[in-house]
Amino acid sequence: MKIVRAILAAAVLYFFYAGSAAAVRIEISAPGEQIIPLAITSLLPMGAVQAGVAEEFQQVLENDLDLSGLFDLVDPEAFLGDAQKLTLHSTQVDFGQWRMLGAEVLIKGGYRFEAGKLTVELRLYDVISRRLLTGRRYIGTLADVRRIAHTFADQILLSLTGESGPFNSRIAYISKRTGRKELYLMDVDGHQRLRLTDHRSIVLNPDFSPTRKELIFTSYDKGNPDLYRKEIYTGRESRLSLKPGLNIGGRYSPDGREVALTLSKDKNSELYLLGTDGTIHRRLTNHYGIDVDPSWSPDGHRIAFVSDRRGNPNIFIVDIHTLEVNRLTYAGKYNATPAWSPKGKRIVFARLEGSEFNLFSIRSDGSDERQLTFGPGSKEHPRWSPDGRFLIYSLDRGGEKSIWIMRADGTGARKISSKGGHDTHPAWSARW
Amino acid sequence: MMPKLNLTRLVVMLFVLTLLAAGCAKKPLTEEPLVTEQPTQEQVLQQQPAVIEEQPVDEAAAEAARIAAAEAAANKAVSGLLRIYFDFDQYVLTDAARQQLARNASLLKAAPTINVQIEGHCDERGSDEYNLALGEKRAMATKSHLVSLGVSIGRVSIISYGEEIPLDPAKTEAAWAKNRRAEFNARR
Repeated sequence: MKIVRAILAAAVLYFFYAGSAAAVRIEISAPGEQIIPLAITSLLPMGAVQAGVAEEFQQVLENDLDLSGLFDLVDPEAFLGDAQKLTLHSTQVDFGQWRMLGAEVLIKGGYRFEAGKLTVELRLYDVISRRLLTGRRYIGTLADVRRIAHTFADQILLSLTGESGPFNSRIAYISKRTGRKELYLMDVDGHQRLRLTDHRSIVLNPDFSPTRKELIFTSYDKGNPDLYRKEIYTGRESRLSLKPGLNIGGRYSPDGREVALTLSKDKNSELYLLGTDGTIHRRLTNHYGIDVDPSWSPDGHRIAFVSDRRGNPNIFIVDIHTLEVNRLTYAGKYNATPAWSPKGKRIVFARLEGSEFNLFSIRSDGSDERQLTFGPGSKEHPRWSPDGRFLIYSLDRGGEKSIWIMRADGTGARKISSKGGHDTHPAWSARW
Repeated sequence: MMPKLNLTRLVVMLFVLTLLAAGCAKKPLTEEPLVTEQPTQEQVLQQQPAVIEEQPVDEAAAEAARIAAAEAAANKAVSGLLRIYFDFDQYVLTDAARQQLARNASLLKAAPTINVQIEGHCDERGSDEYNLALGEKRAMATKSHLVSLGVSIGRVSIISYGEEIPLDPAKTEAAWAKNRRAEFNARR
């Protein structure tokens, strides 16, 4: 099992390495070497001890790095004397000790809390070459410990793979914890939950603007399923599309200048492109069947969507310039909710078999279909992390609806929403 | 009506003739009896409006009865419009649905003051967005059929709730069958 995981992780790593040749320090050779042995030491106080800071930081950082699947953590029980020393310069570190424990990469750091100001010094060392890979100083308040840990986790991935992690970003989702479906925001690890709407109606299917701190979603607040836009920090909200009938499934184009969505104003659901002022730029489909669930290719030229134009619901791709439509999926009887990888190569979707969905991925040319999730429960609404490393989705199992995160290859799945929330429809923001 | 009018005319004519006769005859003033007959004629004229005035009373009663009947029809429509059901991933009307729609159409035609909003619903299987579109197709198919049965198109509006408002949240075939439906929301 561990070997399988290692191979999969290696594949993932290679995938990202291929896209960013520069700045990579970890050599790609045999698959078995791709799990990097990492030692994470506790943050040491650089002044008075402040309870909880080191523990919370450690927990958040470890969770992020574990999810990445790139590391094998060296057991802290085995740590020797150097772990207790604040060594913020590579010349001070006893790399021999770490090498003896099998660590190839080492994280060290310290914090100072004075006059309400928290300073965290962090270092990532390459044990083999005895060099500093990256060093960062973060300044904030006690409330920023989690944010600092997520940001440094992103920095570690950038330093080791050439591409930043997605840990300092946000997840928007729909929760029914007030009894009605409302829009919420949380961190990638499920913490810092915040309710954004108070429509007391039905709020559905959010999407983040790639360029602004802004969300779009559908709400029945005014009696019709209209598309809304909401600025996250000001809370300002307006209706972007309020045509009679459906205004659903809004998705920002990669450049943030247009929104693809489904309208049924002409008595049938069709895909359209809207400007950010709400005017219709273009009708993309023209078929009496159902056309829903658009998802943009990262180059902004094509859109994957769901249609029953050939009988059962399947994934199709429309070229937004020529309006040529091609079918993507043939297997299974019910394929829906496509999500196009930000790296462009693969499209993840949900397939209904019996009464449950599982997630699959397929290359955008229709080849190489793979099943990503197994086991009981219905897995729906897959969305990618901005770096294409992870997927987030909803799981409906035994009546409880929760949000899960996993690696793009289907490994490492873990629940991030809290119990009893009836949480669905996650959407991943760009880097915050 | 006519006989009374003729009688009135007759009496009036008689009176006029009498006056003319009286004028022409140059009779002495002592011939009083003819003059004293006038009040009798006035009484006849006064009676006429009294007879006509009774009619608005009849019309008010008829109007009240008509309103009551319309109210009863409206109430019957509000309580009698029953939901219809669909097969999985289908918006084609089943025979049972058509039979119920025929009854619903009769109720609506009998109650022209009632407008109806048709809600399209789906079971939880299937994607949310697809089900919103499917629910709308169900509502549209239902509306088209009602209109084909003679219900004025302007009285029927539609909305889709997809899988958002199940009647029965259980994950069983029986629950799903109940949830694939069109509801009739009567509005006065």
